[in-house]
Amino acid sequence: MEHRIYARWLDIGTRIGAALLVASFAIYVFGWLDPHVPHADLVRLWTLPADHYVAATGAPTGWAWLQHLHKGDYLNFLGVAVFTTITIVCYARIVPALPRLHAALALIQIAVLLAAALS
Amino acid sequence: MEWWLWPIALFAITFAMGIVAVLAGVGGGVLFVPIVSAFFPFHLDFVRAAGLLIALTSALSAAPSLLVNGLASLRLAMPLALVGSVTSVIGALLGLALPTGIVQIALGVTILGIALIMWRAGRAEHPDVARPDALGVALGMHGVYHDPALARDVSWQVHRTPSAFFAFAGIGVLAGMFGLGAGWANVPALNLLMGVPLKLAVGTSGFVLSVVDTSAAWIYLNRGAVLPMIVVPSLIGVMLGAKVGARLLRIAPASLVRKIVLTVLLVAGGRALLKGLGI
Repeated sequence: MEHRIYARWLDIGTRIGAALLVASFAIYVFGWLDPHVPHADLVRLWTLPADHYVAATGAPTGWAWLQHLHKGDYLNFLGVAVFTTITIVCYARIVPALPRLHAALALIQIAVLLAAALS
Repeated sequence: MEWWLWPIALFAITFAMGIVAVLAGVGGGVLFVPIVSAFFPFHLDFVRAAGLLIALTSALSAAPSLLVNGLASLRLAMPLALVGSVTSVIGALLGLALPTGIVQIALGVTILGIALIMWRAGRAEHPDVARPDALGVALGMHGVYHDPALARDVSWQVHRTPSAFFAFAGIGVLAGMFGLGAGWANVPALNLLMGVPLKLAVGTSGFVLSVVDTSAAWIYLNRGAVLPMIVVPSLIGVMLGAKVGARLLRIAPASLVRKIVLTVLLVAGGRALLKGLGI
């Protein structure tokens, strides 16, 4: 029972995530929306460690990317976020269908994933 | 080199990786990180984040059909994934905090270790579990799945569950630190250590990976290590390549492909090690 619920929600989520990712990447790579970091500068910047890249470009960290969705590069984060959120949604959806022990495990798992997401 | 040539080069190489990964029975992430970090100019932080997202999306895409067909067990996966997802956060934080040279050396050693595991590890189609352990029973780690090849239901149970928790804790650290995916370790841990039938181990491994990699992926995302120009062409390349690989599966010489993958891992692992040592 819980397998089918999980599979249905995961299937929907991965389809939405993939569609968002392909569409947003087309917008980004063809320059239909200006990126936060110009394409040509990436060649120099992607050799830096992530923290140096953030310092050099003023790239948003944490959830601040939500304020940059009008930029071509950060629009792609919508699709990525769907992929990294769908497991939390699926776990939450199956909790009522699980026996008590596994429901407790699912709730702890959701807490761990939310802690990682909000870190 | 012009910026636009890089995503094209990434797409081409990851498309080939996707084909080879399916033929060799490994995940795309395990090839992506060593090869791209060895032969592309991107910093290891961005490569590891991309590798993690490739492994994650591949696992998420495969999970629905595995769950519906009974080839992945939620009750087997949930406790193991919980342990792995906690330690993968630790691995990701460690990977981003340690000096690049040290991570590069550790990556090289890990890749060479993976090549050794792939070369030496055996597999048991239906391992014999005479007596399940108490923890496995308490966690409901048993059941029946339908094996289409045998055209019958196969019942299964597990043993050595406490050891498996330690194994998955270690696997989580490696997955988070190197963005390699973890099918290469999950399957032997489930199959050889816990005694899960091979098909169920392969399917459940993908499910565990989808949870473990999710928590680590958030760490990379929140710290600015995700670059869409690297992630998206690679992801599309691996996924399209995997579809072609699945079609070639019947005609490709599996043992030859496996030898090629082992050679590639040895070369890429050796290069990562030398790079980390500054040689």
